[in-house]
Amino acid sequence: MHNWKRAGLLALSAVLGNTAHAARVEFNRDVRPIFSDRCFSCHGPDSVNRKAQLRLDQEAAAKAKLADGKTPIVPGDAEKSEVYRRISSNSKALRMPPAYAGHDPLTPKEVDTIRRWLNEGAVWQKHWAFLEPVRPAPPQVKHNAWVRNAVDAFIVSRLENEGLEPAPEADKATLLRRVTLDLTGLPPTPSEADAFLKDTTHGAYERVVDRLLASTHYAERMTIRWLEAARYADTNGYQSDGERSMWRWRDWVISAFDRNMPFDRFTIGQIAGDLLPNATLDDRIATAFHRNHRTSAEGGIVEEEFRTEYVADRVETTSTVWLGITLGCARCHDHKYDPLPQRDFYSMFAFFNNVPERGLVYNFGNEEPFIKAPTPENTTRLAELDAEAAAAQEHWDALQGRLRKEQRKWEKSARARQVDWTVPGASDLRLPEQSLRLDGVHGVESKDPLKFDYKDPFTFAAWIKPDSPNGVILSKSEDYFEGEGHQWFLMDGKLRLHITRRFTDISLRMETAQPLKLHEWQHVAITYDGYRKGVGVHMYVNGEPWGTKILFDELTYPLGPKEPWRVGAGAGDKYRFKGEIKGVRVYKTALTPEQVSVLPLKETISGIAAMPAASRNAAQQHKLRFCFLDKYAPREIRGGLHGLEETRTARRKYYEAIPTVMIMVEGKPRETHLLRRGAYDQPGEKVTARTPAVLPPFKPEWPNNRLGLAKWLVDRSNPLTARVTVNRFWAMLFGTGLVKTVTDFGSQGEWPVHQDLLDWLAVEFMDSGWNVKGILKTIVMSNTYRQESRVTPELLRKDPENRLLARGPRFRLPAEMIRDQALAASGLLVDRAGGPSVKPYQPPGLWQELTGGHGYVEDSGAGLYRRSLYTYWKRTIAPPAMITFDSPTRETCIVRETRTNTPLQALNLMNDETYLEAARKLAERAMREGGAAEEQRVRFLFRTVLARAPQDREDQVLTKTLEQFRARYARHPEAAEKFLNQGKSPRDPSFNPVELAAYTGISSLILNLDEAVTKE
Amino acid sequence: MNLHLTRRHLFGRAATGLGIAALAELLQGKERTSTGGLPGLPHFAPKARRVIYLFQSGGPSQMELFDYKPRLKDFQGADLPESVRQGQRLTGMSATQSSFPIVPSVFQFARHGKSGAWVSELLPHTAKIADQLTIVKSVHTEAINHDPAVTFLQTGSQIAGRPSIGSWLAYGLGAETQDLPAFVVMISPGKGGGGQPLYDRLWGSGFLPTRYQGVKFRSVGDPVLYLSNPRGFDTEDRRAYLNALGELNQMKLEQSGDPEISTRISQYEMAFRMQSSVPELTDLSKEPQATFDLYGEDARAPGTFAANCLLARRLAERGVRFIQLYHRDWDHHGKLPAELPKRCKDTDQASAALIQDLKQRGMLDDTLVIWGGEFGRTVYCQGRLTKDDYGRDHHPRCFTMWLAGGGMKPGVTMGETDDFCYNVVRDPVHVFDMQATILHCLGIDHARLTYKYMGRYFRLTDVHGNLVKDILG
Repeated sequence: MHNWKRAGLLALSAVLGNTAHAARVEFNRDVRPIFSDRCFSCHGPDSVNRKAQLRLDQEAAAKAKLADGKTPIVPGDAEKSEVYRRISSNSKALRMPPAYAGHDPLTPKEVDTIRRWLNEGAVWQKHWAFLEPVRPAPPQVKHNAWVRNAVDAFIVSRLENEGLEPAPEADKATLLRRVTLDLTGLPPTPSEADAFLKDTTHGAYERVVDRLLASTHYAERMTIRWLEAARYADTNGYQSDGERSMWRWRDWVISAFDRNMPFDRFTIGQIAGDLLPNATLDDRIATAFHRNHRTSAEGGIVEEEFRTEYVADRVETTSTVWLGITLGCARCHDHKYDPLPQRDFYSMFAFFNNVPERGLVYNFGNEEPFIKAPTPENTTRLAELDAEAAAAQEHWDALQGRLRKEQRKWEKSARARQVDWTVPGASDLRLPEQSLRLDGVHGVESKDPLKFDYKDPFTFAAWIKPDSPNGVILSKSEDYFEGEGHQWFLMDGKLRLHITRRFTDISLRMETAQPLKLHEWQHVAITYDGYRKGVGVHMYVNGEPWGTKILFDELTYPLGPKEPWRVGAGAGDKYRFKGEIKGVRVYKTALTPEQVSVLPLKETISGIAAMPAASRNAAQQHKLRFCFLDKYAPREIRGGLHGLEETRTARRKYYEAIPTVMIMVEGKPRETHLLRRGAYDQPGEKVTARTPAVLPPFKPEWPNNRLGLAKWLVDRSNPLTARVTVNRFWAMLFGTGLVKTVTDFGSQGEWPVHQDLLDWLAVEFMDSGWNVKGILKTIVMSNTYRQESRVTPELLRKDPENRLLARGPRFRLPAEMIRDQALAASGLLVDRAGGPSVKPYQPPGLWQELTGGHGYVEDSGAGLYRRSLYTYWKRTIAPPAMITFDSPTRETCIVRETRTNTPLQALNLMNDETYLEAARKLAERAMREGGAAEEQRVRFLFRTVLARAPQDREDQVLTKTLEQFRARYARHPEAAEKFLNQGKSPRDPSFNPVELAAYTGISSLILNLDEAVTKE
Repeated sequence: MNLHLTRRHLFGRAATGLGIAALAELLQGKERTSTGGLPGLPHFAPKARRVIYLFQSGGPSQMELFDYKPRLKDFQGADLPESVRQGQRLTGMSATQSSFPIVPSVFQFARHGKSGAWVSELLPHTAKIADQLTIVKSVHTEAINHDPAVTFLQTGSQIAGRPSIGSWLAYGLGAETQDLPAFVVMISPGKGGGGQPLYDRLWGSGFLPTRYQGVKFRSVGDPVLYLSNPRGFDTEDRRAYLNALGELNQMKLEQSGDPEISTRISQYEMAFRMQSSVPELTDLSKEPQATFDLYGEDARAPGTFAANCLLARRLAERGVRFIQLYHRDWDHHGKLPAELPKRCKDTDQASAALIQDLKQRGMLDDTLVIWGGEFGRTVYCQGRLTKDDYGRDHHPRCFTMWLAGGGMKPGVTMGETDDFCYNVVRDPVHVFDMQATILHCLGIDHARLTYKYMGRYFRLTDVHGNLVKDILG
């Protein structure tokens, strides 16, 4: 283990060490990494765990005399420096670092470095990454002709120092495939390859780069990395991992990259778009960035524990993505390596602590705060529906005169006949119409199977004459007070509703403010709109709305029990109804107050019609009107009403289906405290929102909230954001950042291989107005980027990780590109940007075995063939093929790219339906488009995937294998049929199955080539 | 073979869980001991070479199974005294209960074996092997809900994101096989069909490279994802295909010189070997009847806990380092007297059979078997208490786990809880202590198995963990 760690350090110093030996020892480059890694945890910024009052992270302290009279660092004299004496001591008891601290001892070389540094005067340097970058002048180099832009000057200057030569430019086909994959995530088409190969005019490559950057594919390619950084997913992530809907934010990101939104604006939008003056819908959608973190819907959690976790996640994500510092290390104690006291963590926490949110979230959709986020298409359609509803309303208004006239006419005739009416649509639960006399011991069960779950609206109504203040009117519930289900009853005379999943925490409970009368017939009714909240419940007595009180408002989960409907019972023995109940009615809708007012009326239609119009009360008027419209109005009037209702319903339904997105909102400010040991229930000193003290100050003109924080992040004085961002772009193109530790620019991070280049790029990026496409273009236009990627044994020995870039990058494609390439090459790709996430092929049963339930329902049609960035991402069971190829799990912010090489990847590419179907479609394309001759077809396959023609030797192998497969399937045509039966796309019947199967085998083989899954 | 591979390359960028085995083979000649681990590990001579962890997900009730509390009968229905609870935080599911009535177990206990360990009537088979077991009654955790609690046991942190124990071991020790992954996971639902969900991250590799994550062996479809060749494409076809693929990749390697290509070639060969080794492994048809007499007829049904126990033994025989079983549906908030016996019936015979089987094969000495859930259950009733029905909420302050085999002292019961089975009164064992002890059995100093990520050296036990020396053999 220790050897292993050291192997890494040695390899790096093999690259970096040459100059270190030649030149003076530099503190930042050579000494700080040793101090940080081996000394700081006890002699660094962490004040609580500091030993011997010695700190080596600050110059003054390190050079001052200690209490025992010893001086840690004596400039110019290693032997007198206590630091050197202790690291070089032969005594186990004296030698630092102590074995018990779990640190490796210093290597002789490291000891020597420190000795030389001390003897050379112990010149201190501030940590480079916390100093504002200044644009360095590109160095003068011998390879002048090779330098195409500043990037090359920095790179080749270093190569010259190391005695290395840059590699020649990659051949055109390789270069085209490289840059096309890098900038769009898709391979070039054969015709794009043809065009580029033919174009020998000046600027051909630049035109390709411009074309790629202008494509929406570019935006999609950039977006997927940002989704990983933003821990974007389609589910909540903890425990039952319910669904959420955040794709409107994902589409905002695509659009931002597509429009080349400046990165500072991109930042401000996502951190604080809601706080911008005149914030637009888009600005608010952008803030979903910080609602992408995981949330928990696990019953019984302590809310504050998890809410704290959400806020902490925002701090950690912000510091990783923008600042490249590990502020999360200061959550429980002062940072061990960087000057970031624990207070800094909670001061940043305070910026994100004012969201009116909860720790326990809803498991079946977005949790508040969220907004409707209509797409432009939604907005257009909604306007149409509004217009239709308005037209229907207008039509209805115009009918009013005629309605009154017709109704008066009808009333006259209704007087004579015996007519009555009530609000239709009710079930009587198959109970007898006559009054049920209940004795306070027994209830009456109904066999009616009518069911209600927690989101089903309803109206219950009944006549009751209670003889006791406690008793169930109607229930569909386990028969005890805390039982699961619906209970509607009297408690202390008050009308009361329970809808309960689990009484202690998942329940809606309400009651009327006033009690009812005993021993009197009263009509009672209750309506529930199906939106889970107490505000959607109304109670009525004798048709009049009564004031209610919400007692518990946490109805968040579907109901389970299969209990019968009961009248007079269903909440335990203490709540058996005593008295009389009749006329029980259950509606599957929430009636309006006007409709409810009609229910208790004893007067018949004829009776009311006979009354003088002026003496009818409101309820009576409603009853007449409803009855007339329901049964007797002329067709045109009923049609008008019907039209009004239909257009309103259509509008409502459409509106309800418009996607929402969870966003950031500043609610009532919460007091923020430092949390001792990071524990939610151990508040320490109070803190206010503030950025870390070690970084440049917060300007007074900025508001002290997220908006100010966002401005501070992208201020010219911020030494980190631009460096961290361009470093990430660099890593995306070259496989490794200029600072390898892309998430850590602190003292434990890697000293940049080319700090001058990093600073040049950072300043260029800022000076260009944070132009993302611009800086990417600068990099891919460089000769450094265009080098061929061939590795020589010498290079492999000198620079195994290609940090010096004496050759072009060569590394495995990210997961999504491997799949997207197969879809594109086969012609299956459905090239459409944005929209809800889709569910492509996935082996059956993966969800059920972990969670039960219905499992994953795969899409049919377009959803199977969209780019992988649109794949539905369930955090606890992520898409297996993506994970196998090292995609981050989207649980927390991940910005590093990792690449492994495993047999599971081989199995995936060879046997997954996705790739087998792609191979079949690719084979069909070769037979259709490639030409008639075998050689042409093989060439087509090769070029479609690899953008180059096969060499003779390759051609021979492929042809030979093709012949093998052809012979095999000719012998077993039934096997060919089976082999071709992969995926849901239809097979082109015009091809001979034996021939197609043989080509499918070859296509699969090409998709499995090392070169196919590699960017060369 | 182009061999300009550096050590750096081997253990750095191109290092791969299984591939490294093949590469190490190329460089050092055939050697069938540990492959893929770190140099310098194990830190000292291990007692166990592999682990089989029988995770009982949901939180089995300790006072119904192992922690016999006869005095609870005296308190039946009485409210749990605040002096016992001492302000202990409760889950939101029972925190607002109006009372906390004590409910004794309805199940009978007896002493078993020479060690006289108390085991419930629900576990007759486990009772028979009591003398093989090391029973720890004083395990305690910090989490009170499933997700954080399971995650804590598996990764040393309640918040997801760190590597699981299996991943740490795969990273540190590698496997003792070149044909199978170092870390295998198998899942069985309770026969009630439900239970708490599980999450891939419980066998995830966190910040360790993904090659160290657990490979799920499934009972539906391919045992390993994408293992089978497509229909109409048999082993001979695959061989021809791989020959051509290897040839083409070899040409590429010669031209581009990237050693990653040779790794890829060997990974495809490894995949080919897995296509025969895995089906051979999961094919139980050649097991004699005696095996099914031992594990129970359930073991014939793929996906049962019994079948997974049998597979665990077969994986152990083949050199897999960490074999993790999950059995779901131990979360008895209600209807405990009716449901708990079913989970015991799902698991009891096979758990005991595994121990006996390993023993008769001489493998128990170097296999550490662990049984337990993520927390215990409350002595008070959650929800409705009736004459013959009750439920129990989550309880972090004490629960029982048992261990057996490599590194353990058999026939020992350790730790003691109070009369209410609420607090540990003797020899508390924190989750971190348990983790440190598990690593110790494998020859690892838990403080020294670290991985640098985001500037910090992480380890399974964070900055905690003390060896539970009293249970070490």
